Amino acid sequence: MLAPYLVGLVGLVLLPAAVTLALAFTEYDLVNAPSWVGLDNLVALVDDPVFRVSLTNSLVFALVAVPLRLLLALGLALLLHRRAFGVGTARAAAVLPTAVPEIAYGLLWLWLFNPLYGPINQLLRVGGENGLTALGRTPPQWLTDPTDARAAIILMSVFTMGETFVVLLAARRALPRDVYEMAALEDATGWDVFRRVTLPLMAPVLALLAVRDAIASLHFSFVPAYVVTDGGPPPYATTYLSLFIYRTGFEYLRYGYAAAATLVMILLTVAAVVVQWRLVRRYRGFYGL
Amino acid sequence: MSEPGLTLDGVSAAYRGATVLHEVDLSVARGELLVVLGPSGAGKSTVLRVVAGLEPATAGRVRIAGRDVTSDRPGLRNVSMVFQSYALFPHLTVAENIAFGLEVRDTPRAVARERARTAAETVGCAALLDRRPGQLSGGERQRVALARALVREPDVFLLDEPLSNLDLALRVEMRAELRALHDRLGATMVHVTHDQTEALVLADRIAVLRDGRVEQVGTPDEIWRAPASTFVARFVGSPAMNLLPADGPVRPAGEAPPGVPAEGLQIGFRPEAVAIDRAEGAAATVDRVEVVGEDAYAYLSLAAGQPVVARVPAARRPERGAAVQVGVRWADTHVFHADSGLRYAP
Repeated sequence: MLAPYLVGLVGLVLLPAAVTLALAFTEYDLVNAPSWVGLDNLVALVDDPVFRVSLTNSLVFALVAVPLRLLLALGLALLLHRRAFGVGTARAAAVLPTAVPEIAYGLLWLWLFNPLYGPINQLLRVGGENGLTALGRTPPQWLTDPTDARAAIILMSVFTMGETFVVLLAARRALPRDVYEMAALEDATGWDVFRRVTLPLMAPVLALLAVRDAIASLHFSFVPAYVVTDGGPPPYATTYLSLFIYRTGFEYLRYGYAAAATLVMILLTVAAVVVQWRLVRRYRGFYGL
Repeated sequence: MSEPGLTLDGVSAAYRGATVLHEVDLSVARGELLVVLGPSGAGKSTVLRVVAGLEPATAGRVRIAGRDVTSDRPGLRNVSMVFQSYALFPHLTVAENIAFGLEVRDTPRAVARERARTAAETVGCAALLDRRPGQLSGGERQRVALARALVREPDVFLLDEPLSNLDLALRVEMRAELRALHDRLGATMVHVTHDQTEALVLADRIAVLRDGRVEQVGTPDEIWRAPASTFVARFVGSPAMNLLPADGPVRPAGEAPPGVPAEGLQIGFRPEAVAIDRAEGAAATVDRVEVVGEDAYAYLSLAAGQPVVARVPAARRPERGAAVQVGVRWADTHVFHADSGLRYAP
């Protein structure tokens, strides 16, 4: 029964991973045969300013985007877990951006972010004069200013938290009703209920989602950076690890070097998985498992 | 009775548009233990939930310790509830669970923990204070839920089938402890159950509920000896009371109540009141016999097909298929109106 899955796992994941691991210690350009260079690629990565910028960009992105995505998903899940008029539509709207194909989603934001006719800046300019916001400031230069461009990529990623939202919605709906009734009998305030009941009960799920999102954030910054900002503004404001690897491999044909960068990315992922595993172990006692 | 601890005045309640409580009147004296007894779906839990404020009353008033709380939110009613599932917070220790209600009401932590310890000692779970609910057995969770209910010294305790998740031995043990706890605290308690034995053993008074209406309120003795209707008569007692037409095949011995037998009346008698060896009794055959330790229950069919259950000593039980003579005495017989099911008063 497991055979087809195992064939797929070996052929599509394990073998390429092994090849990548091997390539990380070679120089390879698709034309000449790979030549062994030992740890040279990894040493070069440490000194490569572009790689260092990409790594920093990726980590900063994960540190800002992941909590924001979780916060938005949690807020919406708590807001929309009850059945009420319009809740179904609101839930669909929360999930919709995640369902849009990535490239289309990127092109959509390219229009939204346009500094001149994009609706976001038009909205920001409402009430202001001479193209400034109501507070007299210049609206964000989403695609040309390095900081604003990084913010733009984070903003884009925040709205694709549909999956996280669905998981949190299910988790909230699965919480027993009687503990909330218990809290009501004790006259706990909304804040007390959130802080002392909802948050701790959802913490295991939240922790798992945070780690999962952190792993995924290494990947889902790729399409926005590729389609919307093209890794820029120059030189490398939105070049993330995934885009760096893509360019190194497929544009500069330095497969060995790209494989070494991939290795670093995999190590980061492994670190995140270890954290996840520890969290699961820590929370296991909660429900008497 | 003294001043009521809890009064329900014509309380109705609805669930998804259907009325589940019909103008229920109940009064629980201060320090009284009232058991609300009824089959599933009778509205027992709804009574508790309306008192607690977890469900709104669509009509009528709820008064707790003299205060009208009908429109108060649950937290202002000063009631404690023990849920069937215990509703313990899985992420909190036993001590934190018990102290929860005090801490959200801004009782200083040290005071809250001290009172939690005292409450835990009262119900015998002080050794568990540092554990989490996941590490406790059913009986231990039950104790923690009780400790949490009494730590705040509420005006009324509401217990929603708190013993139903326990195995029989533990249920019997906790039943006795619950009664002892009530007597010690002198607390006003409303205890919901579908278990008639539990009701008879625990209650000061029992309110029998049927389809959202109060069928009878009385002491366990009254409920047992003078059931107000055939429903109460058959619901309390196991196997259920036998019911036959008063002018039917079984003619009780002794002096009949005035006006009986007559058409339109039913007689009821419990299995233990049936003798199966009366020469003057009605002829019946034995369909099956169940032996329960010292006792045996003989399931009989009268000549006309009506079923009758008799309790006999196991040592003298009849064989299956045997012919027996069913006899009862008027003194052991209850008389009901056949159409309304209500108790007949001559």
